[in-house]
Amino acid sequence: MKSLPARLVRRILGGILMILVVASFTFFLIHMIPGNPVEAKLAQLEIAGVQPLQAQHEVQAMYGFLPHQPLDVQYVHYMWQLLHLNLGKSITYAGESVTHLLLQAMPWTVLTVTSGIIVSFVVGILAGVIIAVYRERRISNGLTLFSTFLHGIPQLILALLLAYLFTTIWRIFPYGSPYNAALHPGWNLPFLGSLAFHAILPVAAYAISSYGGWALTMKSSVISVLGDDFILASELRGLTSRIRIGYIARNAILPLFTTLTLSIGFMFGGSVFIEEIFDYRGLGYMLISATGNLDYPLMAGSFLIITTAVITANILADFLYSAIDPRIRVQ
Amino acid sequence: MSATMNPSAADVEMAPGIACQVRDLTVAYHVDGRDLTALRDVALDIHQGKITAIIGESGSGKSTLALALMNAVSKPGRIVRGSVAYRGMGDVIRMRPEQLRRIRGKSISMIFQASQNSMNPLTRVGKQLLDLARSHRMPNPRDVLREAAALATRMSLDADRVLTSYQHQLSGGMRQRVGIIFSLVLKPDILLMDEPTTALDVLSQSSVLEIVRSIQRERQLTTVLITHDMGVVAELADRVVVLYAGRVVEEAPTAELLRHPRHPYTRALIRAIPRLTGDPSQAKALEGQPPALASIPAEGCVFRNRCPHRMDVCETVLPKFAMDADAGMHRFACHYEEARA
Repeated sequence: MKSLPARLVRRILGGILMILVVASFTFFLIHMIPGNPVEAKLAQLEIAGVQPLQAQHEVQAMYGFLPHQPLDVQYVHYMWQLLHLNLGKSITYAGESVTHLLLQAMPWTVLTVTSGIIVSFVVGILAGVIIAVYRERRISNGLTLFSTFLHGIPQLILALLLAYLFTTIWRIFPYGSPYNAALHPGWNLPFLGSLAFHAILPVAAYAISSYGGWALTMKSSVISVLGDDFILASELRGLTSRIRIGYIARNAILPLFTTLTLSIGFMFGGSVFIEEIFDYRGLGYMLISATGNLDYPLMAGSFLIITTAVITANILADFLYSAIDPRIRVQ
Repeated sequence: MSATMNPSAADVEMAPGIACQVRDLTVAYHVDGRDLTALRDVALDIHQGKITAIIGESGSGKSTLALALMNAVSKPGRIVRGSVAYRGMGDVIRMRPEQLRRIRGKSISMIFQASQNSMNPLTRVGKQLLDLARSHRMPNPRDVLREAAALATRMSLDADRVLTSYQHQLSGGMRQRVGIIFSLVLKPDILLMDEPTTALDVLSQSSVLEIVRSIQRERQLTTVLITHDMGVVAELADRVVVLYAGRVVEEAPTAELLRHPRHPYTRALIRAIPRLTGDPSQAKALEGQPPALASIPAEGCVFRNRCPHRMDVCETVLPKFAMDADAGMHRFACHYEEARA
């Protein structure tokens, strides 16, 4: 068995390689979208009276690559810049660096997505255990039906519904910004309180849309563990119910960790709708505005962040998994 | 052992030398809207310090009986009526859950058919032994580990290695022995073994049986051995109870039963044992299938459809037990034999 640091280094190197592969893929994918903003911008500058040569320089500074160059040269240039963590400059946000824009956007998404995942995971797992343990009672059937129903609602519809119900019909929650604009942003209580209050609806949208999946998966996992021989054995050996519940819970949660990492990617996908609806300037918002304006560098940068997040989560999950499952550790 | 010595907790009258008395035990499984009876009016005595074997084909209800002896029949099964009384403990069928939990694993313990998979795969064996010790409020859990290590050494296992291992790091035979350690480590008064060797190869089988035998002798452990293997019965058991289609059909001391089987089913079982010497084709398989739960005859003799001596009375009247007290309380339930005697 390899030592932990050696395995970690190997996984991280593999992860970086994978990120580069995905980055290449997105580069070509993005450039296959019909329309060409570089040429449009060039033409725009020339019409405005800028000298063609100077216009080219300006455009190059803006995009990080030269227009009119063949795609493969552009690609090499892009990857080279990427290795220096330079993602180029945004087109829509006149000349701002993509890295800067993404760093600004990231906390909004990370905060809401992570809270959503944690809330739905915890609530879903508890519900799953209840459904499994009381599976012969009416409460279990009701809860299963409810979970399946929520599982079936698309995130977009759910977010719209929440926004409509709780900000328009019943004016319980504020709408349209991530915090009260009158407050001074910083580490002060009123601001943080307002931040949390405003975040309730978007977090609820993430949480409710993925809760059902957790509940149903946990239900079947618990039922399968309850059928295992060692659970009957622990009952016949007279172990206390506290110890037995611990045995059941740990064994049943295990398979859900794999799904947890996959859900991170799914949640980032959902941020496109949810941030648009609740007006959060996060990564999803960036991605949608970049796509609308054919802002290649910003688009590529947003995809890159999502890719990195999913791959990092996968590596993390692998190590977490081997920490809690001794059977993986030995291999 | 203290529970056995303490008569105050017993509320059931028991003949001397009896450790457990089963009466009218009836278990049904509720399937597709109807009750299928797996055990009907089972009555038997488990003798103190002896090995009592319960033998039957698959489907005879023997595993249900093993669970019922610990009041652990789970849904869709249900104990309809009857009692399972242990000396010094009382009737487990009428016990409150917490009282039952304290007895299970401590006073009455079981070696499972699936002992190989009887451990939590995510926790080391030693930790699980500590869980067991704490569940039964042993004054010093470390003592339990020491006792487990001693048992492990005795079963020719590397004690340190076994106690620090996870289940998947042990072979099938080792796991089975670890399962036995769990069952013996708290020094129970009663040991139930449900097909303890079914999942093992022949060599592991004989070593496991040897270990159980020697510890049983040493501790004078009251043991119930549930099996389908007449060979194992002949080797280990002091008394035999023959179970067919959820009913006891014959009970006798082992030697007496093997020499003078009275019930046609018992005779067929003994004929089915292959001999090491002589012609193996002498071993005759019992023809026909044991009845499925749904097709057990409601009245008359349950064995009549496979019986060579079937008579008219077998169709309608349930045979009563005839007792041969001279032959060590040999009892059997058969109209044909009763008529012959």
